[in-house]
Amino acid sequence: MSSLLEAEGLQAYYGKSHILHGVSLTVAEGEVVTLLGRNGAGKTTTLRAIMGLTPPREGHVRIGGVAVTGWPTHRIAQSGVGYVPEGRRMFRHLTVEENLRVPPPTQGRWSLTAIFSLFPRLAERRTSKAGRLSGGEQEMLAISRALLLNPRLLLLDEPSQGLAPVIVDEVMRAVQRMRDEGTAILLVEQNAILALAFADRAYVLSDGAITHAGPAAELAADSEKVKALAGARASRAA
Amino acid sequence: MELLLFDAFNGLIVGFFYALMALGLSLILGLNSVINFAHGGFMALGGYLAFTLVPIIGFWGALILAPFAAAALGILAERGLIRPLYGRDPLYSLLLTFGLALILEDITRTVWGAQGLPFAIPNFLNHPLNNVYFFVTGYRVFVVIVTAIATAGLFAVLRFTRLGICIRAGNADLETVASLGVNIYFLRGANFALGILLAGLAGILAAGQLGLTPTMGSSLIMPSFVAIIVGGAGSLIGSLLGGLIIGVAAGITTAYFPSASEVVIYLIMAFVLMVRPRGLLGQEGLFE
Repeated sequence: MSSLLEAEGLQAYYGKSHILHGVSLTVAEGEVVTLLGRNGAGKTTTLRAIMGLTPPREGHVRIGGVAVTGWPTHRIAQSGVGYVPEGRRMFRHLTVEENLRVPPPTQGRWSLTAIFSLFPRLAERRTSKAGRLSGGEQEMLAISRALLLNPRLLLLDEPSQGLAPVIVDEVMRAVQRMRDEGTAILLVEQNAILALAFADRAYVLSDGAITHAGPAAELAADSEKVKALAGARASRAA
Repeated sequence: MELLLFDAFNGLIVGFFYALMALGLSLILGLNSVINFAHGGFMALGGYLAFTLVPIIGFWGALILAPFAAAALGILAERGLIRPLYGRDPLYSLLLTFGLALILEDITRTVWGAQGLPFAIPNFLNHPLNNVYFFVTGYRVFVVIVTAIATAGLFAVLRFTRLGICIRAGNADLETVASLGVNIYFLRGANFALGILLAGLAGILAAGQLGLTPTMGSSLIMPSFVAIIVGGAGSLIGSLLGGLIIGVAAGITTAYFPSASEVVIYLIMAFVLMVRPRGLLGQEGLFE
C-alpha cells in the first residue's frame, strides 16, 4: 500500500514547552488509523503539526508523496486534507449554510446536496445559527465543512467528545460512510474502545512519542493495555 | 430652533463621515486585528486623489475611481508593511500604522501643498433644497445617500458573498478558516482593502463638504475611534450608530457651547464606558 500521509520525526513546541518528540506515523489510501493516548500526550498537537497550524520545528510531512512541511495551512487543506478540530469550532454566529460556504468549492463526490442527504438534519436547520445546534449536529456540521473540500484524508479530533452514546453512533455511522467512499481517516480519540472497534491500525502516543504501533484488533484484544493507555475513560466505557 | 436644527444637521453630516471611517476601522480591527492609525491618512489620500482625478475624468468618475485607488495603495501597505507583523503583539502594528499615518500626511503635504484646497462639486448639488431649511443642501443629501448605498453594499457583501462570509467567519476564528482551505493571506488583504475603500470614499465626501487639508485625516480619526468604542467594538452596526451619535452630539454642542464641541465626544465615550463597558452594541467581554 502506498502511503497517503507520511509524518516523520515531528518535533513540535508550544512556546518553550516541547510537546512532540519525534512522532512518525503513516496512513495509507483508504485506511482508517487511530491515534490513542492520554490527555496531554500530544494527539491534538500531532494533527495540528500535520495541518501546519503548529508547524513542526523538525521532521517532515508528506501528503500523497508531496512534502508539505512549511506550507501555509490552507494549501495543506487544499492538497486533500480535511480537518475536524477538537471542540468542533463552529462559526457560531453564522448559519449552518454559511458555515458550509466557507470552504472553497471543489469538484468531487461531496457537494452541498450530497452533504444534506448524508445529514438530513443539517438540511432542516440550514438557516439556524450554528451556535444553536445540539452537540451532535455541530459535530455533523464540522465533518460536513471538512468534507466539502473532497479530502483524500480526514483528520478527526475527538468526534465523540461530549456526545451522548446514541449520537456518537450516528456520527460514527457517517464516518463509516466516508470510509466506504474510500476516504482515509486519522482518528484521534480518548474513547479507545470505540476507536479500536473502528480502525484498521492504531498508534499509541505517550508524552509526545509513539510507544506502540500495530493492527487495531491486536491492541483491542489486549485489555490490560487498553485500560492502561486510556485510563478511566476506557474502563468506564468497558 | 432653526439654529439648533442647523447645527444638529451639520453634526449629522460629519457623523456620516465618522461612520464610514468607523466601519472600515472596525472591519480591519476585526479580521486583521490591527488598530489602523493610518486610516485617516488613507481617507485624506482618497480625497486628494479625487481632487487630481476630477479634471481628467470628472466628479462622478473620481467619486468611483479614487476610493479604489486608495484601496490599491492600502493593499500595498498591507502586503509590504503590515503582513509581517500578524501574529505578533498588536503594539507592533499599532506603532507601524501610527508611523504610516505621519508618512501619508507628509506625502499629501509634499504632493498637494500645505495649504487647504477647495474641492469642486457639481453645481446642482450646491443649492439648498428648501428656503427655510437653507442648510439642507443637495450635497448634504447626496452625502447621506452615498453613505447609505455604501453601507448597504458592505452589508450585502458580508451577508451574501463567499468573501463576506469568510470575513465574518475569520473574525471569530481565523485558524479554522485557514484549515478549511481558505487563503487567509488573501482574505486579510481583501478585508484591509475593503476598509480602505470606505475610508477613501469618506475622504471624497468630506472633501466636498469641508475642503481638503493634509490634516483632515488626523482630525477625523480620533472621533472615528470614539465612534467604535461608543458603538461597541466588534459590531459594525454599532460603529455606524456610534459615528452618527457623536457627530450629532458634537453638532448640538456647537449650538450652545461652541468651545466644548470637541470635548463632548470624549465625555460621551467616558459615560458609555462607565455605564456599559462593551459599548452600545458590543459583544460581551471584549472590554469587560
